[in-house]
Amino acid sequence: MTPIQIGVTFGGIALSLLIVWFFWLAPKGQTRVSAGTSGVQEVAITVKGGYTPDIIVVKAGQPLRMRFTRQESSSCSEMVLFPDFNQSAKLPEGQEVSVEFTPDKPGEYGFQCQMGMLRGKLIVE
Amino acid sequence: MVKDPVCDMEVDPSKAFATREHMGQMFYFCSENCVNKFDKDPYQFVHLDGEHAASATTGFNPDSKLLQVELPILGLVKDGHPGGQMIRSTLEKTPGIGRVIANPIEGNIVVDYDPRKIQILDIVHAIHKTGYQVGGAQKRIGIDNIRCASCVGLIENELKTTPGVLNASINLATQEATVDYIPDQISLGQLNKAIEYWGYKTRSAVSEEPVDQQQATHEKEYQRLMKRFWVAAIISVPVLITAYPNFLPILRDWSMETLRLSWFGAALVTLPVLFWSGSDFFTGAWAALKHRAANMNTLIALGTGAAWLYSTFAILFPQIFPEGTSEPFFDVVAVVIALVVLGQALELRAKGRTSEAIKKMMGLQAKTARVIRNDIETDIPVEEVLVGDVVQVRPGEKIPVDGIIVEGSSAVDESMLTGESLPSSKKAGDEVIGATLNKTGAFKFRTTKVGKDTALAQIVKMVQDAQNSKAPIARLADTISGFFVPIVMILAVITFVIWFDFGPQPQLVYGLVTAVSVLIIACPCALGLATPMSLMVGIGKGAENGILIRSGEALQTAQVIKTVVLDKTGTITKGKPELTDIVLSLQVSMKTEELLRLAASVESVSEHPLAEAIVEGAKAKGLSLDKPDAFEAVPGYGVIAAVDGRQVVLGNLKMMNRQKVDLGELEVKSETLANEGKTPMFIAIGGKAAGIIAVADTVKEDSKEAIAVLHQMGIEVVMITGDNRRTAEAIARQVGVDRVLAEVLPEDKAHNVHLLQAEGKKVAMVGDGINDAPALAQADVGLAIGTGTDVAIEASDITLIKGSLKGVVTAIEVSRATMRNIKQNLFGAFIYNVLGVPIAMGVLFPFFGILLSPLLAGAAMAFSSVTVVSNANRLRGFRPKFSAK
Repeated sequence: MTPIQIGVTFGGIALSLLIVWFFWLAPKGQTRVSAGTSGVQEVAITVKGGYTPDIIVVKAGQPLRMRFTRQESSSCSEMVLFPDFNQSAKLPEGQEVSVEFTPDKPGEYGFQCQMGMLRGKLIVE
Repeated sequence: MVKDPVCDMEVDPSKAFATREHMGQMFYFCSENCVNKFDKDPYQFVHLDGEHAASATTGFNPDSKLLQVELPILGLVKDGHPGGQMIRSTLEKTPGIGRVIANPIEGNIVVDYDPRKIQILDIVHAIHKTGYQVGGAQKRIGIDNIRCASCVGLIENELKTTPGVLNASINLATQEATVDYIPDQISLGQLNKAIEYWGYKTRSAVSEEPVDQQQATHEKEYQRLMKRFWVAAIISVPVLITAYPNFLPILRDWSMETLRLSWFGAALVTLPVLFWSGSDFFTGAWAALKHRAANMNTLIALGTGAAWLYSTFAILFPQIFPEGTSEPFFDVVAVVIALVVLGQALELRAKGRTSEAIKKMMGLQAKTARVIRNDIETDIPVEEVLVGDVVQVRPGEKIPVDGIIVEGSSAVDESMLTGESLPSSKKAGDEVIGATLNKTGAFKFRTTKVGKDTALAQIVKMVQDAQNSKAPIARLADTISGFFVPIVMILAVITFVIWFDFGPQPQLVYGLVTAVSVLIIACPCALGLATPMSLMVGIGKGAENGILIRSGEALQTAQVIKTVVLDKTGTITKGKPELTDIVLSLQVSMKTEELLRLAASVESVSEHPLAEAIVEGAKAKGLSLDKPDAFEAVPGYGVIAAVDGRQVVLGNLKMMNRQKVDLGELEVKSETLANEGKTPMFIAIGGKAAGIIAVADTVKEDSKEAIAVLHQMGIEVVMITGDNRRTAEAIARQVGVDRVLAEVLPEDKAHNVHLLQAEGKKVAMVGDGINDAPALAQADVGLAIGTGTDVAIEASDITLIKGSLKGVVTAIEVSRATMRNIKQNLFGAFIYNVLGVPIAMGVLFPFFGILLSPLLAGAAMAFSSVTVVSNANRLRGFRPKFSAK
């Protein structure tokens, strides 16, 4: 093997490790939602290539209102699904849509678009 | 002379400075100042006019400056007093609000407020902050040719100050006003008037229907994608030509210099393809990257981006690349983007068809209703019909909302909701369902459910929720697609390294081409689309046939059902006794009709359900009944009365013994009838035994057929009932069930279902959803037989709207067909990736010398997801065995 090939090999291994670290191992930012005076936990989520914020920490047993605003026209993100809660909502572009339910059991629940390209996580404590 | 509403000065109408029409009344003004003030906030001045008290606000007191508004609050009833208390205390603290009365029973609050200090909108906001929402209707109204931003403010204010309006906003882009209002207090006509007051014409809004809106956005998105596709496709042609000069005679003779120049051209023209046609991939990839996520966009962006960068370097600095590797491949960039964008557009088209069933259902809704208010018939939009309104329906018209007939009768075609093809006859007191079609007669009905509460709206909501739920089978695909893209990226890196280290010359080119192919061929979308698309079609198909499947999980479980437990009463049988036999005693010479007439005449004043069956039976035979005299009911025995001067005794064996009637051969006959599961009643006329009338809960016409088909499907059918064994077995023989669980107490039904499950079978329970709720919940799949409007049966996984057992067959058929389709899709998507990625990596190269071109990879990727969606669409052709049409 030439020195260039050895370099490329190590470079490839390093790049692979970087991918593993970047997508799976690095800690992700969490958004903690606290209840307002009315007792409803409320969070605004922007949908554009992903959910911002995408990891949402809420308390169990308190009503939760998530206000989604979709800022893109790609048909991928036209729905948001909470399969564990049997909830879903159509998100017309530019229009705020609320998804409301009360998470009862603590745990981690995913939410996503119809085909799972965009993903978020609801952590119930 | 009239009064200026602003300054209270007397004005001569003919000499007034200006006039305004507001809320249907003319106002005259003395000066410009006054009219300007009025225009700013007409409501402020109008309410001072006592004559307006009754217009739209309720309970107006002319002595007070306070107005009263009644606001319906969603969910107030359910939550009871605390909710009302919370809203009241919040509102009472708000300035400008006087008395607040919460009425949890009616589900509304009554607020006195000072319109100069607070607007209804603020009250609504205050309520919203407590976590409650003000119920009301929302309507979009199109406004023709509205362009100026200042007019928007004026019209918005006009609407907002109109009593009954909660909020109003105008969107200049769509030329539409969105108005939240309380339909109790203001009609659409008044809203239109408020807009027209400013000189604009109103029309119905384009984006009114949510379905149409989605269709419109889909169409727009499709056009957008197609535009991008065409640009990419047209640019691809010259780029492809320069990439393969050897295939074209003229280009073959081009010198290396000319070719290099053409490559520079290709580099430039592919830029708009990359950053305009393919801009979605790059923005999408970047957005995902910010979330530390990767998706299809990432793969396409990386693949095409790498191809373009490499090619550009290769033509700019050919000297730094080894011999023979400085050839560009701009064609990959242009063609792949064109293909993938085309694939997305086609996928969008196909996706639109998957929700056809729900569109059809929503389209069933009538647009207008002919409501009778104050003895006047008026056509109003269906959104404005209120609970308690009386609606007139003529033959051939659609019934707008749910209700109960108060006058008239007709045959109603309910096939669109229940799948039942025969029209059902309806008379006063019967339920009618919105969106069904009135066939023969005219009738009036009182509405019981409107808007979101109608059966249709609930069905649509249920179906939509189910369509978007997850089937357990999708979990695996979901887990995989979570890891999919980073793994593909790593595979691409590995591919490059292996080719670079061990591949043939030119190693760099081979490494890059294969890596790009890997990135492009991998398709996480097909995997992600596999289940939801089929669910969408399958559950919609079920709904079309009167079967409401609650969730993907229910759909998936229904296919593996091995045992179906059927409740007897109301499920296999009609649940209502009917006249079945009339036996004449050998000792009397009279016609059976006469016997029935006498018995029915006696029973016509009784309230016993068996009596009702006899009376109904007589009426069905066209017999006219007499009024009985000296009617006496003996509880536990029977009844005695006189008809036409003859004493008629009707009752059981004990009754006959009490009256000392000699039954003769009738006793044996009654035994036979009882063995058949019927309830026999003896009749004695003038002290002599005359005959037997038997009633029984009869089997539904199609139960036997449905059970036979279940057997054919390899499913064991069990009957469960609280009835005695004799009756139960008689019914079981008639319909042909395999096993009978008789004399089961209602609370033990769930336990019995559990015992069957303990035999290791997946058990479905079919019941009426009310008494059988625990058993339905215990079963792997609970199917509730509903009739009419009670579609929201909580305990069930599947609701059969049409009260027939055939629905059980169809439900299992739909489940099996859908699951088969999902498996095909998942298998296809898995196999595609499992085979496609290694081929792109070049595993075939060492053996056959075959290497996948990135162009082919792009084509494969683009059409893999289209294939999945198209396969799901095949389900639309599903026909159940018992088709209604």
